[in-house]
Amino acid sequence: VGLFVRMAKYYDIDDILAEDELVPAIFKVAANEVGLIDSSDDTNKVESGSKVELPFWLASELHLRQAVSVGFPRCFNKRTQEEIKADAAHVDLRNRCPYFYELGCKIVLLTGDKSIGPVLLVAFMTRYKEVLIKAHTTSLTVAPKSLTLLTNEEAKLYEAARSSTAAMKKWRMGGPRLQKASVLGRKRKPVE
Amino acid sequence: MAGQSDPGGSTFTAAELEFLAEDETVEIVPNMRMDTLDFICGQYGPLRPQITAQVPLWLAVALKKRGNARDDIPDVYLVRSLIEDIKDVRFHKIGTGMEKLTGRASAIVLKHISAMEVNIVRPFTARALETFYKLDSPEMLPDSERGAVKHSQVADHGQRRPLRPNR
Repeated sequence: VGLFVRMAKYYDIDDILAEDELVPAIFKVAANEVGLIDSSDDTNKVESGSKVELPFWLASELHLRQAVSVGFPRCFNKRTQEEIKADAAHVDLRNRCPYFYELGCKIVLLTGDKSIGPVLLVAFMTRYKEVLIKAHTTSLTVAPKSLTLLTNEEAKLYEAARSSTAAMKKWRMGGPRLQKASVLGRKRKPVE
Repeated sequence: MAGQSDPGGSTFTAAELEFLAEDETVEIVPNMRMDTLDFICGQYGPLRPQITAQVPLWLAVALKKRGNARDDIPDVYLVRSLIEDIKDVRFHKIGTGMEKLTGRASAIVLKHISAMEVNIVRPFTARALETFYKLDSPEMLPDSERGAVKHSQVADHGQRRPLRPNR
């Protein structure tokens, strides 16, 4: 099952984008020929102990090979955690990181550091309710401003509810009960 | 269409549910005599003038359109506005039920929910349950925290009910 899930995610665009987010990494070894990663000096290498920022997909591979040690990016810092505790519904998580939940989960699973686990759960528990209420009211044609605060996952939740509510409303409004298939539209030339 | 591969979609369109609903039995008053009607799904009738008969909705609509029968609904506009009210109250209640979700739940129990209501909440609920599953997992939460996050009662499966029997 694990392999199946991994393969399903391999082509998932959201997973790809989530892993493109930068995370802090400290090199545990020195590395040659990759000076590009660390622009602090002119040498084409990275010293052991250097602190850099790498996209998650690269950082996780290096972490698994014990070449670096991955940490949590700024979006999960104490300040954000406090804001979530105070009023999770109004925190601009999209601004912190559009893949807040996805990236948080990945880092926890990679490093085994579960400290932000409860923060993610509490944030989602609170904000899920907001999305639930806002998405199922049929009166809105203009998106509320709070949409800009939503992470990718939350926005998808919202969209799922909106589209099924809109489809139901459209059906209730009536409209053509039987629709002619487009292929039947025109007279076709007899086949030679 | 039913069972489309898009995981974000409802399994049924509203029109498909309407089609399925047309199998429900309703009462009509025929205004003419008709011998037993033979269909693949069964037999209906015979119909006698002014004697109420139980037929499926699809047949009732067909007969009414031909002017062969009438329904027994006194005030259509009143019925429509009542249905609208019922819809609003029920939907609000569903929302309240769904707000109780606070963590991993193997199922959400919403009693006496109709097919159309299930269809509307299905994409949202399925996605939300999945996200809760990922976040509220032992791999994500330190041991001390797992009791601290309260879990609601919606995880109760309830009794298994028999599916609707075949005709």
